[in-house]
Amino acid sequence: MIFRRSRHSDEISVMNRRSALERVVLTIVTILVVLFFMLPIFWLVTTSFKFGREAFAIPPRWLFFEFTLRNFQEVLATTKISQYLLNSIIVSTGATILSLALGVPAGYAIARSQSRILNSSAYFFLILLMVPPIAMLIPFYLIMRDLRLLGTYASLIILDTVFDAAFVVWMMRSYFADVPKEMEEAALVDGASRFAAFWRVALPLSIPGVVAAAIYVIIFSWNDFLFALMLTSPETKTIPLGILASFSAVEINWGKMAVMCLFAIIPALVIALFLNRYFVQGATMGATKG
Amino acid sequence: MVTTDHQISTQENRWLARVRRFRSREGAYWVMLAPLLVFVVAVAIYPLLFSFRISFFKYRLTDPNQVQTFVGVDNYLRALQDPTVLTALRVTLIYVAGTVIVELLLGLALALLLASEMRTTRFVRSFLLVPMALPPLVVGLVWKSLYNADFGVIPYYLKQMGVSVGRGPLAEPAWAMPAVILIDVWQWTPLLMIIFLAGLKSLPTEPYEAAYADGATRWSRFIHITLPLLKPTILVALLLRTMQSFKVFDTIYATTGGGPGSTTTVLNFHIYTVGMTFFDMGYAASLANVLLVIIAILSALYIMLLERQQL
Repeated sequence: MIFRRSRHSDEISVMNRRSALERVVLTIVTILVVLFFMLPIFWLVTTSFKFGREAFAIPPRWLFFEFTLRNFQEVLATTKISQYLLNSIIVSTGATILSLALGVPAGYAIARSQSRILNSSAYFFLILLMVPPIAMLIPFYLIMRDLRLLGTYASLIILDTVFDAAFVVWMMRSYFADVPKEMEEAALVDGASRFAAFWRVALPLSIPGVVAAAIYVIIFSWNDFLFALMLTSPETKTIPLGILASFSAVEINWGKMAVMCLFAIIPALVIALFLNRYFVQGATMGATKG
Repeated sequence: MVTTDHQISTQENRWLARVRRFRSREGAYWVMLAPLLVFVVAVAIYPLLFSFRISFFKYRLTDPNQVQTFVGVDNYLRALQDPTVLTALRVTLIYVAGTVIVELLLGLALALLLASEMRTTRFVRSFLLVPMALPPLVVGLVWKSLYNADFGVIPYYLKQMGVSVGRGPLAEPAWAMPAVILIDVWQWTPLLMIIFLAGLKSLPTEPYEAAYADGATRWSRFIHITLPLLKPTILVALLLRTMQSFKVFDTIYATTGGGPGSTTTVLNFHIYTVGMTFFDMGYAASLANVLLVIIAILSALYIMLLERQQL
């Protein structure tokens, strides 16, 4: 169904039935891979705890440096970081609630319906998901300007939700398709309505899928930069915009910037490291399930 | 056969009942889908039609009178002759080809390397998930400082190896494109790894057992069994990443800003510049529609592949 863990996967794995030499080589390769993917993040985290002169030190000091919290104090004192974080939280929460409320029932309807029109409307949402954001953004910007909604949370939440909800529909459709229908049918025989079958039976069985979809929506809307770049005002800037706004092009304090970046990646770290089961599920189902 | 009135009416009733049952069942599904459809038509379809319309107008936001002049297909003709657009297209193709090819190969290699369900490999895999969850803008900023000519660690280690990159990888025309491609590879290879891992795990065991009995080598098992069986997954992943790669914006904005010169000005970034720095909305909309058509063709292929996979 989702992310199959079966015994035969060992059959094709490269790590089993190997000579000692091969094992050593593969272990070294694995370590290099981890270093490649982890060092930039490690660099970001350590820079946020370094004094300026050590952040610039040549040769770079990866492990041994003087530990300081001064960057954190300065960021909290001199930037509007709490405002930016609050804005990001408002936008992500709004987009997540709205896209789940619109997308989960729609995904269920598409999965359960017998109608061909309804079934193939799934592809409409997939196409929508593929639309280049810039193609949507230019007209949306003009419309929001005419409605005097530029710079509001609503404009950003609404545009995020278009793409987020399309993803939720696409993902939940394939999730619900894998949930056995028997219990819902039993409920229908007992006189429950279709809505009750969805709300009381199918939805509680599908919480893991909803969590996986929610995680993706949170990441999409938290990480969004292009939409926020054009739709926010100084008061509603989300964290990526806030990072750019806090530094001039001429002089960048990398220690402070690292601290702000660290705040910006907290959700990503939590999700990738602690909720990775759902995260993997979202990636594979969103991408490859027909 | 003689049909009585009674029979006709019961047949009719049965038919009516079936219609009614269908309606009550399908009707509920339509109601569940309706809010999203209304939302999408209002917020997505209407703007896209709006964009289609203004692409036939000359419309500059900087114009104090906000005049929109109808110019027919002039914006599209202008795009065809605009050397900056052709450059942007070429840059985009290099970027897309570079990122997608490297990520596919590397992603497949990583999936094979980390396919086993041992605790250590699962631990390693969870770390590799981090880059793809990060905000691309932050990724761009981090790599920008790693690439920095004065104190960045990458130019420093390159210099140690005897390679000099002058004003830093992002500022040298020959280095800028590979440098931004590497950022994309860093962030998105793990996505391909997970897609391929899922693909590997769903392969049937029988061919491997047969190959085992025949004494096939690991390499020939990979070439003759794994690769052909994995082909649908590879194609889907290829198209998915191609479409995503066409839409790159944040990392370019954070690192090179399209430079030096226009060596990293991908089409998506160029459209943003035309629209939001020159405020030439009609022209920007026409360029965005060209990008939309390119992506639409790719997504049609993608959907056909998904459909075929389902059968």
